[in-house]
Amino acid sequence: MMRKTLRAAAMTAVAIPAIVMAAGAANAQDDTFKVGMAVGGNPCCDWMKAQGDVARALAEQRGWEYLELSNNNDPAVAVQNAQIFAQEGVDVVIQFNGQPSSNPAVAQILGAANIPAITYDIAQEGMYFVGIDNLAAGIAGGEALGQIVKERWNCEPDLVISAEGAVAGIVNEWRTGGMRTGLKNVCPDIPEEKWVSFESQGDAAVGLPAARDLLASHPDAEKMAVVGLNDGGVLAAIQAAEQLGRAEEMIGWGQDGAFITGDNVNPHLVGSVFYFLEGYAVYAFRDIIDPIAAGNPPPVKWEAGDPASRVEPCPVTAEQAAEVPDMDERVEQLLAAPEGTTAFELFCPTA
Amino acid sequence: MSLDPAMAGTAASPPRLSLHGWGTPITLLAAWLLLIAATGIYRPDFLSHQTLLAITFTMAIVGVMAIGQALVAISGGFLDLSQPSALILSSLVAVRLAEAGLPLPLIVVAAVLTGMAWGCCNAAIIVFGKLNPVIVTLATNFIGLAALFLVFQLAQAPLGSGLHGLGRTAHLGLPAIWWPMVILILLVGFMLPRTRYGRRAIAVGGNKFAAKARGISLRATRFAAFTAAGGFVGFAAVLFAASSGPFNPASGNNLQLNVIAAVILAGISLAGGRGSLWMLLLSVGFLSTIPTALVFFGLSSDMQSIFQGFILLVAVAIDGYRARRNTP
Repeated sequence: MMRKTLRAAAMTAVAIPAIVMAAGAANAQDDTFKVGMAVGGNPCCDWMKAQGDVARALAEQRGWEYLELSNNNDPAVAVQNAQIFAQEGVDVVIQFNGQPSSNPAVAQILGAANIPAITYDIAQEGMYFVGIDNLAAGIAGGEALGQIVKERWNCEPDLVISAEGAVAGIVNEWRTGGMRTGLKNVCPDIPEEKWVSFESQGDAAVGLPAARDLLASHPDAEKMAVVGLNDGGVLAAIQAAEQLGRAEEMIGWGQDGAFITGDNVNPHLVGSVFYFLEGYAVYAFRDIIDPIAAGNPPPVKWEAGDPASRVEPCPVTAEQAAEVPDMDERVEQLLAAPEGTTAFELFCPTA
Repeated sequence: MSLDPAMAGTAASPPRLSLHGWGTPITLLAAWLLLIAATGIYRPDFLSHQTLLAITFTMAIVGVMAIGQALVAISGGFLDLSQPSALILSSLVAVRLAEAGLPLPLIVVAAVLTGMAWGCCNAAIIVFGKLNPVIVTLATNFIGLAALFLVFQLAQAPLGSGLHGLGRTAHLGLPAIWWPMVILILLVGFMLPRTRYGRRAIAVGGNKFAAKARGISLRATRFAAFTAAGGFVGFAAVLFAASSGPFNPASGNNLQLNVIAAVILAGISLAGGRGSLWMLLLSVGFLSTIPTALVFFGLSSDMQSIFQGFILLVAVAIDGYRARRNTP
């Protein structure tokens, strides 16, 4: 009995300091600035993963901790991720949420936990807005395409096709609608019946059958201009025209620059608008996170029109885009550049 | 034309075709013709070569995938829900080999073998683990999608390659990728009740206890069915990679419901042992015409999804009715 009591006392004597030391270590860890990142998680787009890679690299450069979760392009998962970030006690959260219906809940959870949050491209009250002015990017792309439509067809196309991506919500309205507005700015007299749409879901392969059906329902159209949510959606229409033997006079101008670089560019994709989405973290760190870490948090500017950090759109023709390196190369160069240098400054040929 | 499970036959006795089962093809053909006629009356330009191209392009991939799904269903495996992952994996192999400059025939062989390997994995888990095929293939589809997402984000056949050209050429005025689908459906539909493996698959699907009593190996038959089904998905992947343009790991998901609907509408019983693959030509044609027709009627893509879901519901109800009717 005595021996057992002694053993218990000895174990307690060893355990208590160990627990105290562990707690101390945990407290020491808590002192390290911790960045949480919720990537979009939509398999459509490799830039979503790259956004996380760049944020991780920038956090590591600063000696900070980094916790990355994926929103899986699912609003419910985005809310769960916000709860995890709150439980983990991160100091700041960055997110790209392609399903913005959950943004109010995410903002509420992070706000309750006093965690400053940065949202890319889709504005949400209470969260720092970093991103492109999607409407401006849409209009810029539409005007650039309009110039080509004016030069080639004297503003008299047979059809203007919109490759919609309804799931992107307001972003689709800004980009695709903005492109229509931009095109109308240059060619205001295109009759209403010539404007048609199909649901591309922002994915060339998924949108292809719908694009084929749309073209089949306009069998006489030859001079066709395509605008859309992104390059993938626009490509759906171009591929459909190729398959129906009607691509000769089709021209498309995309958004996001996903398919305008490299040696596999479709010749009918005549231009796109680069946002250099992979490099958004540079803006977020430079303008928001670094000041927060230094104890000087900037005011929360959450509106796209008056953002906490504005990303410049970079409209380019296919020829200009040929000068732009592919995304992996861009990420490499971006991380090697002096701190705070943006991808727009490094790579935009029209800057 | 449908194969009666009670008469499915064994290796010793060739199957007999009952001629009283014309209900499915007549109904399908009538519905298809009615749809074409109604759309043609509403919009006469529906009856054009452009429409024919649009529909036949849509038919090609779904049709070949439906052969694989039908084999699984007929052999009593119910459904293979991992087809989207198998399709994208095989498509990725096809694209990578095209990028390496390999000729198209080799690409086709590699993609088919990839699909068969996938089918083998499914079969091994189902047969040796004695697990439910639906749950297993649902799980392997999830695993496959996640793994593919780790491996690649986007892929597409190189411009100017043989693979890319295949998706844009036509023979006799119809897409080059449509003809293999028709030939395969006719060929497999002809061979299934006339070969030993085919008859065994039908027998196992119809009544596995009776099949076992006749000395048919349930394991080997199911293994063969899933492997063959994977091979067809591998071939569909070549057509997909050739025609779809840039694709990502999730690009095959949208095909799943259409394939299942085509199999059920064709009168192929999910309970196994019954159905003619030839009917797939009608069901795939009908299902591929619906979205095109709806566009001519000016309906939105949301309405198209409602229609497709509704048709699937009707098809499942018909399948359930058939199953109840055939239950003694």
